[in-house]
Amino acid sequence: MDKAPSGVNRRKFLTAAAVSGAAVAATPPGPTGEAAALGVATPALPPTAAQMEAEIGQPTKIAVTMAEPGGRPGSDFMVDVLRALDIEYVATNPASSCRGLHESINNYAMNKKPELLTATHEEIATAMAHGYAKVANRPMGLLFHGTVGIQHATMAFYNAWCDRAPMLIMSGNHLDAAHRPPGVPTTHAAQDPLAIVRDFTKWDDQPASLQATAESLFRAHKITMTPPYGPVAVSLDAHLQEGVAGKDLKIPRLSRTSAPTGDLDSVKEIARLMASAQNPVIVVDRGARSHRFQPLLVELAELLGAPVVDQLGRQNFPSRHPLNGTDRARGTIGAADVILGLELADFWGIVNSYSDIAEPKQGRRLKDSVKLLSINSREVFMKANYQDFQRYQDVDLAIPADAEATLPSLIEAVKSALTPEGRAAAEKRAKTFAEAGVKQRERFMSVDALYGWDASPISTARLSAEMWAAIKEHDWALVSRDVRLSNWPHRMWNFDKPYHYIGDSGGAGQGYGLGAAVGAALAHREHKRLVVNIQGDGDMMYGPGGIWTAAHHNIPLLTIMHNNRAYHQEVMHVQRVGNWRDRGVGRAAIGTTIEKPFINFAMMAKSMGVEGIGPIGDPKELGPALKRAVQVAKAGEPVLVDVLTQPR
Amino acid sequence: MKKTSLVLGFSLLLASAAPGVAADAARGQEIYMKTGCYQCHGTVGQGANTGPKLAPEPLPLESLIAFVRNAAATAMPAYSAKMVSDAEMADIHAYLGSIKPPPQRKDVPLLNNP
Repeated sequence: MDKAPSGVNRRKFLTAAAVSGAAVAATPPGPTGEAAALGVATPALPPTAAQMEAEIGQPTKIAVTMAEPGGRPGSDFMVDVLRALDIEYVATNPASSCRGLHESINNYAMNKKPELLTATHEEIATAMAHGYAKVANRPMGLLFHGTVGIQHATMAFYNAWCDRAPMLIMSGNHLDAAHRPPGVPTTHAAQDPLAIVRDFTKWDDQPASLQATAESLFRAHKITMTPPYGPVAVSLDAHLQEGVAGKDLKIPRLSRTSAPTGDLDSVKEIARLMASAQNPVIVVDRGARSHRFQPLLVELAELLGAPVVDQLGRQNFPSRHPLNGTDRARGTIGAADVILGLELADFWGIVNSYSDIAEPKQGRRLKDSVKLLSINSREVFMKANYQDFQRYQDVDLAIPADAEATLPSLIEAVKSALTPEGRAAAEKRAKTFAEAGVKQRERFMSVDALYGWDASPISTARLSAEMWAAIKEHDWALVSRDVRLSNWPHRMWNFDKPYHYIGDSGGAGQGYGLGAAVGAALAHREHKRLVVNIQGDGDMMYGPGGIWTAAHHNIPLLTIMHNNRAYHQEVMHVQRVGNWRDRGVGRAAIGTTIEKPFINFAMMAKSMGVEGIGPIGDPKELGPALKRAVQVAKAGEPVLVDVLTQPR
Repeated sequence: MKKTSLVLGFSLLLASAAPGVAADAARGQEIYMKTGCYQCHGTVGQGANTGPKLAPEPLPLESLIAFVRNAAATAMPAYSAKMVSDAEMADIHAYLGSIKPPPQRKDVPLLNNP
């Protein structure tokens, strides 16, 4: 049992100190006296026992208990729990309700394992945890103020939820109303502080003792790291943080937990259907949880001679693999007689078309005879309110299981199911598909990329080619999505390592990009990789403080601004509606563009201690600028190149 | 059959829309930007994942106008004559036609590296 004495009424005497001008005025010379001279309230400084007795009549033992150096703080115990969970980093924006744990990380852990990362906004901190998890395959801790801190972070939690990123959210709360300080701490206290994020976290808790806190954090860790991954949240009572830890507290053992895998009969049935298909196709989205996935998918695709259409939720499949059909998705899927979906966020969108026109049209784009098969851990766990589960798609066989964990048994089942004729057909299919792929790549490089080659603003093809030339000799990783560059990096670059790419935000909530890139770059840092972030200007302005965090924590990161000076997607939306209504598009820029004035992102970077290059609008200047930027990043520093780009 | 009639119809309309006024590429560029064509197709009509390449060698003017007016069934929103007149379309067409051909791949070392 937690033996924190019931008389630990620090909040009570702080309250008294805060409201008692006499107590402050009576303080002796020294820091408190200086603060008083400056007109600074000093409620956080404990009065002497004599002052306590004199002012509020409290027994002296209360003050002695709190000030006693030998007492083990509850938050030191929480640090031990985090260490047992192997939490390496805790990203935070500082907050009074977390001050106990914050101080313990500083002075008990000596800021090592966990190490605090200072973020200028909770949304940035959460995006950092999001990006970090997708590279490190482990959760980062987050430490936020209750209520307002959690409110700041909610959108980023939603992104992580949609993208199935694990993270351990911790927030402070003053649970006991009879002992919480009045004023702001009470304003920020809540009876159910994590209700606001319950719809898009896997689990949350508010433990009422230190022992329960240990068990809660262990349960949270287990849940966040059990596929489907997702954020979990634990509210840490300030009283427990700041009180004394008892002697009988126990830290649980870290359990090994396996991922949910498909039952063998169903796996064999999928293998049979794929092996006997004339044109099997694999569509994959958030398939790769770890580096094990990509080689497994390559093996499966090659066995079947099945093209892979990658939705690019993760680094699922090598971009230049002969069976990569991502750039031929519509034709490839249209030719399929069996489709296997792996961890698809939106199977309905694969099977059906939807035209965003004045009178929207929708309907199945495939023949009814096409067999649809699914392996998806999302079906193990979903919630009702937010609609990230997308439209309902009926399929012929759905296995609610983790694709990565199920692939080994599926591969073995396919090997057993394939006849010699089937293997020969697979080889022939693969050869034909590969030949078409070579022609398409040739068209990309010899025709499409060249249009607008010398244009200013700089074309996205030119930008991608210049970036590739600058990074390809290094051990690199892209930590952002490239769809807004018309997918040119995935067309030009050779994405073949499991760490080359991590997908996008998941929930499409703006403000993900820079923070996620900083977190991902932190995870790449120990491998000394050249980390590239292609950063939208609109997204950047949600959380530019991420630049400062990268500088403050010496996180090398090459950020290249895709500065099209607009929320471009929204420009097109407003244009579209203006056209439908026959009212013109002349005012589509109102509320959608980022101009008058233009933002100078290089100057912004410099203001936060990061080398900023640009803005660059002349394509001839781009190569030298990128070369310089790569040098800076390889030297271990963050750097930003502001590139004025075509919209897409 | 229907398409042919449509193109013919717009062709006649065009002939009567701006009699004696020569299409102007500079004015066309201004209209191209103002009407937001560049948002999906790029400032020099190079194309993107939001819209196909338009230049150089644009569609014949009549076909271009027919597509723009009747694009409602595609991903592209249609532009009525109220939003972009036929004469303005002719200027846009002149602009697209004035855009220089791109370089050859053999002359671009960046596109010859693996």
